[in-house]
Amino acid sequence: MKKLLFVLVMTSLLLAACGSKPAETGPVEITFTMWGAPEELAVWQAVVDDFHKVNPNITVKVDVSDWDSYWTKLNTLTAGGTPPDVFAMDAPLFLDWQSRGALLNLQPYIDANTGFLDGFYPQTLTAYKTADGYYGLPRDFQTIVLFYNKDMFDAAGVDYPTADWTYDDLLVAAKALTLDTDNDGKVDQYGFWSDTWDMELLWSEAIWAYGGEIISDDHTKTLIGEGGARDAWAFIDSLYKEGVTPTPTSSGEYGDDLFQPKVAAMTTIGHWAVPGYVQAGINFDVAPMPSGPAGRATSVNSAGFVIAKDSKHPEAAFEFIKFALSEAGQKRLAELGFAIPVLKSVAESDAYLKQPGDLNQQVFLDSVDFAQTKPVFKGYEEWAGVVGDGLIPVFDGEAELNAILDEVIAAADEVLAANK
Amino acid sequence: MEYGLKPLGRERLWLWLMLTPTIIGLLFGTIGSLLATLGLSLFNWDLINPPKWAGAENYVQLFQNKDYIEAFANTLKFSALYVPAVVIVSLLLAVLLNRKIRGVGIFRTVYFLPAVTSAVATALVWNMIYGKETGILNWMLESLGFAPICWLCTDHAMMSVVIVNVWGAIGEGMIIFLAGLTAIPRDYYEAASLDGASDLQQFFKVTLPLVTPSIFFQTLISAINAFQAYDYIYMLTRRDQGDSSVPVAVYSIYRNAFHFFRMGDASAQAIQLAILVGVFMAIMFWWERRYVVYE
Repeated sequence: MKKLLFVLVMTSLLLAACGSKPAETGPVEITFTMWGAPEELAVWQAVVDDFHKVNPNITVKVDVSDWDSYWTKLNTLTAGGTPPDVFAMDAPLFLDWQSRGALLNLQPYIDANTGFLDGFYPQTLTAYKTADGYYGLPRDFQTIVLFYNKDMFDAAGVDYPTADWTYDDLLVAAKALTLDTDNDGKVDQYGFWSDTWDMELLWSEAIWAYGGEIISDDHTKTLIGEGGARDAWAFIDSLYKEGVTPTPTSSGEYGDDLFQPKVAAMTTIGHWAVPGYVQAGINFDVAPMPSGPAGRATSVNSAGFVIAKDSKHPEAAFEFIKFALSEAGQKRLAELGFAIPVLKSVAESDAYLKQPGDLNQQVFLDSVDFAQTKPVFKGYEEWAGVVGDGLIPVFDGEAELNAILDEVIAAADEVLAANK
Repeated sequence: MEYGLKPLGRERLWLWLMLTPTIIGLLFGTIGSLLATLGLSLFNWDLINPPKWAGAENYVQLFQNKDYIEAFANTLKFSALYVPAVVIVSLLLAVLLNRKIRGVGIFRTVYFLPAVTSAVATALVWNMIYGKETGILNWMLESLGFAPICWLCTDHAMMSVVIVNVWGAIGEGMIIFLAGLTAIPRDYYEAASLDGASDLQQFFKVTLPLVTPSIFFQTLISAINAFQAYDYIYMLTRRDQGDSSVPVAVYSIYRNAFHFFRMGDASAQAIQLAILVGVFMAIMFWWERRYVVYE
């Protein structure tokens, strides 16, 4: 409480103290902040050093924080009128920031660099496009694929997932891989685990594959209860009811991710998980997402760059983004192994395809062909909380799916109306 | 009536010098931010654009927003369970530990430990205790032949969270009551037992009336803590998208302010909570004048 009040006062004081005019002369220093693991800082420092060699006049100060602190910091800096020049943006949250007028329109800068966006995966660009142009650009992206633990499949004598798998095949295999190895009446190995609180990892893919939609094009109506979407939810519910995955509230007992500690035999997740799995010494590979009655679908989501509207050095900031999105910059990021480069030429080169871990990296790239962009709309965070967290009692086995789904959809539509 | 020594000469200067940090902190940190919150509650502010005048709109919202009404109801429910539990348990504990038994210092220390341990760290341990599949509590239940319970699922989360908060608070309560108990002259008990009063009668006729000042103080402190309860609740019930299975008023204030960028709504909620605490304190002080016995 007290802390909250303190922050309120400090932010208002800061707000009053700021507001100066830009002036571009001589060497400039720009700030760049992003969320990420500490090891990412080293790679970004390398990108920044490369950039400084080409543009000795521009110094970039990089700051990396964990996900939660990143947003707190960004909020405070922005409210205080001293936002970082360049900062990282999660595509779904983009409109919440853009609509508040916090971001610079990059369209004039893009127009001045003919052909700049030609080499990008087009699916990664749509999230940042508004009626009057781009207010952000993707830096790298993620497609969601099916990860499987080869050792567990071998031990249970189950065939590896293939590109022909349906969601029903997934459930059958998950049942065969759910084991009570020490016969104490409790499950020791789960067939499957994935997050169902965020749409990105499983439920948006399932809804699309069962022929449903997430949200109407004008962002006024939540569609997750219509047509095929109900069947997708019924499928997800069956994973919990069949006991092939632990309930959401008890999954926390095993850590954030049940594939990494070798508790679950399969998971659906993006490339960011790969370095951790490799480090944990898991013998794993990847397959495309299973298909449903309406075909196959996966989700594509990106992390991007934006420039603060009040940046004093917008030109320098854009130069930096341009460099990070060039082949040189993208190759550095590919080395990091957390994501897929947005430049097609780099994604399809050895820099990306020949990473440690001996994975079928091509699966991530091929998934782009049937990927849909993770929806971006105003009020995303609140909406995602209403839907994702609202369904937890169902998957915890405390409530009936359809009744809660109706409640959640009504509440989600209220959020959309309030954020119009 | 005045107590203690009066500062003289140069001491007066030092007195003010030493007090300055506290006074500045109080003026800016507490009173300043209270006024700022009061001001902000009349505006809509998204942290980026200049605040827009909203008048009473944010206060009207307090009675219309279903999520906030639920959060506010949760705060009341939590307080109704937490305050009596803390007062009763810590009083009983203090009575038990207010006698000459071997190792009483160790017992007192053990009960006080939660008060000096980081809530975040202990909440992590409680998460392990409450775990549905791997938790110690369910392991015990199952060994006794009972079905496991999902302690942190929606149906039981309120109870589980109250238990942890009470556990964390009884150490301090115990100290308050121990101080109150030791202040009761022993002759009263001797006289009572000469008159043939049983232990139970002594507790109700002697102890209880004479610790009413401590009960009053402890109830007040516990209620204020209950209205502001946040850390254990955040650690134990936070869901992955930021909601909670026991969203309380402070939780709602935090989310509205720093996740949904609705500073005005959050400020109005904070003011409402502050008013509630104020009203409760007024009732308590009225109660004090009527029922609390000072020697």
